[in-house]
This record gives sequence, C-alpha cells and structure tokens, in this order.
Amino acid sequence: MDKKSVCEKENYEIIFNNYSKSMRNYMYYKCGDLQQAEDIVQDAFIKLWNNCKKVIFEKAKSYLFTIANNAFLNEVAHKKVVQNYQKLNLKVSTNETPEFLMEEKEFMTKLRTAIDKLPEKQREVFLLSRIDKKKYVEIAEITGITVKAVEKRMSQALVALREKIGNI
Amino acid sequence: MKMESFDDTFLARWVADELSAEELLEFKKSKYYLDYKKINEGAKALEVPSFDGEAILDGIYGSLQDKATKPKVVRMMPNWVYGAAAAVIVAFGVFLFKNNNTEYETGFGEQVMVVLPDDSKVHLNANSTLEFNKGDWESNRVLDFDGEAFFDVEKGSIFKVNSKEGIVEVLGTEFNVVSREGYMEVKCHEGKVKVSMLGGDRFSILTEGKALRLIDNKEEKWEFKEEKPSWMTGESSFRETPLSQVIRALENQYEIGFNTSKVDLNKRYTGSFIHSDLNLALRTVFGPMNISYSQEGSNTIVLK
Repeated sequence: MDKKSVCEKENYEIIFNNYSKSMRNYMYYKCGDLQQAEDIVQDAFIKLWNNCKKVIFEKAKSYLFTIANNAFLNEVAHKKVVQNYQKLNLKVSTNETPEFLMEEKEFMTKLRTAIDKLPEKQREVFLLSRIDKKKYVEIAEITGITVKAVEKRMSQALVALREKIGNI
Repeated sequence: MKMESFDDTFLARWVADELSAEELLEFKKSKYYLDYKKINEGAKALEVPSFDGEAILDGIYGSLQDKATKPKVVRMMPNWVYGAAAAVIVAFGVFLFKNNNTEYETGFGEQVMVVLPDDSKVHLNANSTLEFNKGDWESNRVLDFDGEAFFDVEKGSIFKVNSKEGIVEVLGTEFNVVSREGYMEVKCHEGKVKVSMLGGDRFSILTEGKALRLIDNKEEKWEFKEEKPSWMTGESSFRETPLSQVIRALENQYEIGFNTSKVDLNKRYTGSFIHSDLNLALRTVFGPMNISYSQEGSNTIVLK
C-alpha cells in the first residue's frame, strides 16, 4: 500500500487546493477580518509543511482546521472584546428587476447587519452552510461539534435573524 | 404560528431540504414561512471576497524559503566576550590619559576582561575590583584585588596579587582567585602559584590542578580538573563551599539580597548555578540543600 506523503509538493498542493478556501472563509466568518483570516490559513499551512512527516495525508484536513481554530482562539478572540465584531463585508449579487432593487437592497442591508450581530458560533454555521454550501456533516467536522449541534445552531441562527430583521 | 411546536433542528432541516412533504406543507402555512424563505434566499445571494489561493500559496513558499536559507548563527564566544572586548578598547583609551593607578570595577552580573600592559589577561567576574600602577608595570607587576578573577599571566618578573586575605605570587601561569570578606580561594590552572596568608609567615605552593581555600584563616586543599573556571562560560561551580560564599556569588551575579537568618551558612555546597536564569539557579542551589526559598519585595529572597 503506498501512502501519500504530505512532504511531497504535489500532495501538499492537493491539500492546499482542497481546503484553503473553506479554511479562509471559515476564519473570515469567525473574525470578520479578511487579512487575519488569510494569515491564519497561511500559518496553518506552514505548520503543516514543517510537520509534514508527522501528519498523514488523510489527517491533514483535521490537522489544519485544528491549528486554525487554535490560532483563532489564541490571537483573535481577545481582540473581539475590544472592537466587538467587524462588519461582514459581504458582496451581494442579485438579478432582480430594477423595481425591486431598492427594497431588495434595504433588505440585504438588514440581513447583513443581523448576520454580523449573530453569536460567532451561529454565524459560522449559518454562513458555511449558506455561502460555502457545506453539508451539516462537513460543518460538524470543521467546527468539531456534532451534526445535531450544527443543526441546532443553524435553526437558532434562522430564528435569531428573523427576530432581528423584524417585519419583512 | 406554532413555531414552538417545531423541534430545535426543524429549520436546519428545512434549509437543507430534508423535511418530509407533510412537514413542509405544515411549515408553509406558518406565518413566518415567507420571512424565513426570504432570509434564506437573501443569504444564498451573499458572497465573500474572492479567494486568491495562488497568492497565499506563494506567500507560504516564500516564508518557507526564507526560513530555509536563513544562515544559522553559530556563536564562537559567549556574549560577554564582546562586552569584554569593548571594555578593553575603552580601557586603552583610559590608559592614554591616566598614568598613575588604573582601576577596573565590575557591577552585578558583569564580567570584564582586562589586558595588562605586558599582555597578561585578567577576567573579572561580577562585583570585583582590580587596581594597578601602569607606569612601572614591567618592573613591578603588582595588583590590588578584591572579588573573583581568572588570571592568565605572561612570563616575566614576579606577578603579585594583593588581596584582603592573602597574597598570590606567580611567575607565569594561569590561576583563579576568589577574595571576599573572610574568604579566599585560589585555584592553579597552569604552572605554579605561591599563596601567602596575611598576618603570618605561612605560605603554600600550588601546582597545576591544585586548589586552596582559606575560611577565617583555616586552610583547605583539594584537586580539580577543569581547564578554565566555569564562571567564564556562564556558570559558577562550587566544591564543598560554605553556603555563605555560594549565596554571595548568587548576589553578585543577580543583584539580589538574601535573608539568611533561618539557615546555617556553614553548610557546604557542591554543585553549580547558571548566570542566565535566576529561578533555575535558585532551584539548583537550594533544592539539594533542602532549603526552601520565597521572594519578598522586588529583590530579596527569604531562605528557610
């Protein structure tokens, strides 16, 4: 049986191409700072390379997400206390007709604000599901909680958003 | 309407299209159904800033490269040597202006190497002083000294170290002297050394590898093996040395004080401590001695 070594550039880049984007987005949903999210991803991959002999190919994903999570807890969490949450700078793409655009724009603004105000744990689940189209099983793997817990957070997020946005 | 009747994963299953047909039908009748639908659709329309994986990968390879090509710096000499070299340069400057007595003094934790006019070298350990007359040095190699130092003496006329506790005389050799109040220790690393005790006619000759100490004028001799005193490389070593001297050495290296009222200072200590980490030093000295210590104020250590 031949095992794929993470130390080989080819395999390393496969891992990078598979996971770097969802890691970046996940970190972005958590901290709301794009630069910081990308730095965390970069550092996690550097660590993976430095430990490539110890990490087997199949475990690379959970290794990366664990490192990124820890980095977030260590470096980012304390900042949140000070600056609260930075506004999510999410772009909107719509293909509505011009008549609806004003109303639509207003709604999207409300939605974005409401998402920004969600607790971090609900927000990351909600956005991983809605933007990155991750299945609950995958989200559970990324966040390190059970599928059931993911579903609960997703539901809580939806209820919270509806309550925050009010009459639609 | 009856949102409360939905279980706590109901909405999650709804957005994932996992509801049964009946459940969905029921939900569509709910007064919030349209709100949820709009939130879900709005959320799906959101986008994140584009992801430039290549740039990040380049960044990763870039920083891995930096690390790989960064030359390793191997220190040939401990740091203090550079300080010592600087001190020597300053010392020469001083020589030019001062003809009479030249004095060197080291502070807490400081070490300095002094080059004498005949190329003999004196390494001064912490809290030590050295004084000599530069003018007639060639014919009169006499030093006044207190503290601890390692002497590397060039061949020539008699070289004499005067201290409070005794006189050390040599021709050309290497030796280490500790001279503190009530205590003197001489170790001969090379050649021959003559040690005369003050206030008497007694003297001793030490040959290579022999050492002698005077505690309140009582003499002890032993043999040792190391080529250079360990304090020159960042560690002070002791062999059956009274605790009082070990504590004094700690004080000199770390600029701290000790409250020793509860311990027997005549107990003997064999071992060493490093100069770079106070906590480690305290542990290596007082651990084996079964003495507990605690800090009081900013720089006093209480021993029990």
